[in-house]
Amino acid sequence: MNESLIHCRKLAKHYRKGAQTVTPLRDIDLDVATGEFLALMGPSGSGKTTLLNLVAGIDSPSEGTLRVCGEDITQLSRNRLARWRAHHVGYIFQLYHLVPVLTAFENVELPLLLDDMPRRVRREQVEATLAQVGLEDRMHHYPRELSGGQEQRVAIARALVASPELLVADEPTGDLDREAGRAILNLLEELCTEHGKTIVMVTHDPHAAESAHKVLHLEKGQLLKPEEVNHAG
Amino acid sequence: MLAKAMRLVALAVKQLVRHPVRTILTLFGVASGMFLFTTVQTMQTSLDKVTQQRAADTTLVVYRENRFCPETSRLPEYYLNEIRAIDGVREVIPIKITVNNCGASLDVITFRGVPSERLARYAPEIGVIDGSYEDWENRDDGALVGKLLAQKRGLAPGDAFEAAGVRVTVSGIIDSPLPQDNSVAYVHLPFLQQASRHGLGVVTQFNVRVETSDDLKRVALAIDERFRSEGEPTTTQPEKAFFARAAGELLSLIGFTRWIGYGAVLAVVGLIANAVLLVVRGRVRENAILQTIGFPGGAIGFVVVAEGTVLAFAGTLVGVGLAMAFLSWRGLTFGNEGQTLALAPQASVLFSGMLLSLVLGLIASLGPAWVAMRRPIVDSLRS
Repeated sequence: MNESLIHCRKLAKHYRKGAQTVTPLRDIDLDVATGEFLALMGPSGSGKTTLLNLVAGIDSPSEGTLRVCGEDITQLSRNRLARWRAHHVGYIFQLYHLVPVLTAFENVELPLLLDDMPRRVRREQVEATLAQVGLEDRMHHYPRELSGGQEQRVAIARALVASPELLVADEPTGDLDREAGRAILNLLEELCTEHGKTIVMVTHDPHAAESAHKVLHLEKGQLLKPEEVNHAG
Repeated sequence: MLAKAMRLVALAVKQLVRHPVRTILTLFGVASGMFLFTTVQTMQTSLDKVTQQRAADTTLVVYRENRFCPETSRLPEYYLNEIRAIDGVREVIPIKITVNNCGASLDVITFRGVPSERLARYAPEIGVIDGSYEDWENRDDGALVGKLLAQKRGLAPGDAFEAAGVRVTVSGIIDSPLPQDNSVAYVHLPFLQQASRHGLGVVTQFNVRVETSDDLKRVALAIDERFRSEGEPTTTQPEKAFFARAAGELLSLIGFTRWIGYGAVLAVVGLIANAVLLVVRGRVRENAILQTIGFPGGAIGFVVVAEGTVLAFAGTLVGVGLAMAFLSWRGLTFGNEGQTLALAPQASVLFSGMLLSLVLGLIASLGPAWVAMRRPIVDSLRS
């Protein structure tokens, strides 16, 4: 672990809801080192997913600075931000969100479709990534033919296939039984320790958070200081 | 760039193929609309072909003044020599026409009585595809039957058939690039004159070839002037103008069908727009996932437009193909006042239909594509 892959200062998010202004996130100062595995915990509505979305570049902050993978992503246009996401971030959702009419192979291939690479190279990369998550024998199965754990592995393969530095995971084990959840966490740990991926994971589950190098707690849109955690908990 | 576009089109095609029920229902609607459009467009194009005067046209039709149906246009055959003597006239062919129905009809049978030695010059495009020309020349009641008429009536060389009080024997089946020739029966002029109650010496019209198209107006005026004071005065017009005058009701009817064609096209646009909009609404989260993994809004919009365009193109291919097959199989011929309009499938209609489908698909899916590409990712993920 060395320089910060994620660096944010005074980060805040506001939006209008009717006549009211809602602030799900404020005054966030955060540094995540390259190769670090960070777990974000907190009650519902504490701003965990909002922070994850900002870091992943799928939402934009209202205030503050945010540098991810060496880029001030608040300054990027929609299209440049999309290209940036394609190369730097892999997003893993709680409910997998695979495209139901595409096979596991085709789902994992999606992030590469807009890259200029020969078909053969693309196929090899997809096959290697599916093998990495242990699904080489399920490549041509549709999501409906896979278990929840297998679907989440496909989603992880999709997040990994373009070799991003950063993986963000929103409750990746939230929809899985204990055994499948454990397997997914082991996979994420392996990706971090053996492949140097930086991981930011949102979770409610303290057992899941134990897999991370560092756990941060959010409450009412703010990061708690370590001395506040036990008091809040 | 092109490779990326093709990969996105392939993604759109997978979406369509793997939602078969929705896709088939939409294709069915598009195909029905385009079938109607193609049929109407074929009518319009066929009509344009037989009514639009071209610089190379050098044929005049001399008809009895103020008459429209062949049964009432009776001209003395001896006008032939008088017309031939007019300066600028290259050739005159007397023709007797007998039809089974002078009114507007879809099942008109037309006999054209032409002097046997002049048939090759009157209709040089025809070719005998079954039977023999010699048999026709040697047989008084022989008929060279257009292939569409033969197909419709199940006629073959050697068969006898009767229509409009005329009984003939089929000597040959003919084919012609001019659709009208494929729906008529050519017989000997004297035979048809004798078969009708007007007898020998009476014809329906004269087809007059002039030296150049510049002569058309002058010769027409000269012919009508020559017979103005005769018992049977004439009206002479270029062949295509004559068709337009004689088949006026047919023109109005077919002109009206243009609106049905436009209606069909609008229905197709509405159908595709609705289908694509439903697709976009049903895939809000899926599109957000694609954007999350790095698809720019333009790529999302492109996939949506590709789906709409592929739907339109495939539906049109089916609809136009079916219409072409139907028109070839049925060999429809409109008849009115003795003039026939054969609806023949045309490559120009096929190409214009396919081109139109691309435009329709594009128009119908641009709105839904805009909606899909502009929606904020986070809102879509929450939906």
